[in-house]
Amino acid sequence: MTAVSQSFKTDLLGSIPSLRAFAVSLTQNADKADDLVQETLVKAWDKHESFQPGTNLKAWLFTILRNEFYSQMRKRGREVQDSDGIMTARLAVHPAQHGQLDLKDFRGALEQLPEDQREAIILIGASGFSYEEAAEICGCAVGTIKSRVSRARTRLQEILKISGEDEYGPDAISAQVTGSNAA
Amino acid sequence: MKNMTKDITAGAAGRRRAASGDPLGPNSEIGRKLKQYYDELVSDHVPDRFAQLLSQLERTEPAPKKD
Repeated sequence: MTAVSQSFKTDLLGSIPSLRAFAVSLTQNADKADDLVQETLVKAWDKHESFQPGTNLKAWLFTILRNEFYSQMRKRGREVQDSDGIMTARLAVHPAQHGQLDLKDFRGALEQLPEDQREAIILIGASGFSYEEAAEICGCAVGTIKSRVSRARTRLQEILKISGEDEYGPDAISAQVTGSNAA
Repeated sequence: MKNMTKDITAGAAGRRRAASGDPLGPNSEIGRKLKQYYDELVSDHVPDRFAQLLSQLERTEPAPKKD
């Protein structure tokens, strides 16, 4: 086995904040997340030779972390949540007041999503991956990621009672207000 | 106090972007919250245990070749 290069180690260190954020998003638990990141770093170190320099290290690490997460869940005998499952009954949360959405409410809503939808919307909407990269990380088709993101977004809107955001975004409201004042 | 007609057109443009463009973009409340949620996690202080872990891994592997 060849030695791990200094730059690989530096890049690993630099990836830790993103790995922790993704791990918390998946586990919804800070302690479990840090254990998961630790496992990921050990695995990445052991199989550093399989990483192709010049390719996306972050995507490679996210893939390892994600695989580790699901294999731990399977070991614990927990069924992976199904997106089409029975979450709807738990959907009720108080509506966002005055159109201002609290981060705590958002966190609660995110927690209610099935894992596959949550990871998809995090990878696309927050971690900055393309649909193609997210599909590779999750080992599924690009279309699957697209549909999970779309369902996640719709479900978050339902939980948070954001309706018709496209027509009534903040821009539209402020335009209406200034418009009527001016008239 | 009369010149309050600012940015009506900008609002309309924003509305069009939100309707047609990136559904998780800056004009989407969900998109904005998602980034806020994630950025907060990313900027969280990293515990020392991870740097220690990497140093430990480095010590246990065979010494790198000199040339």
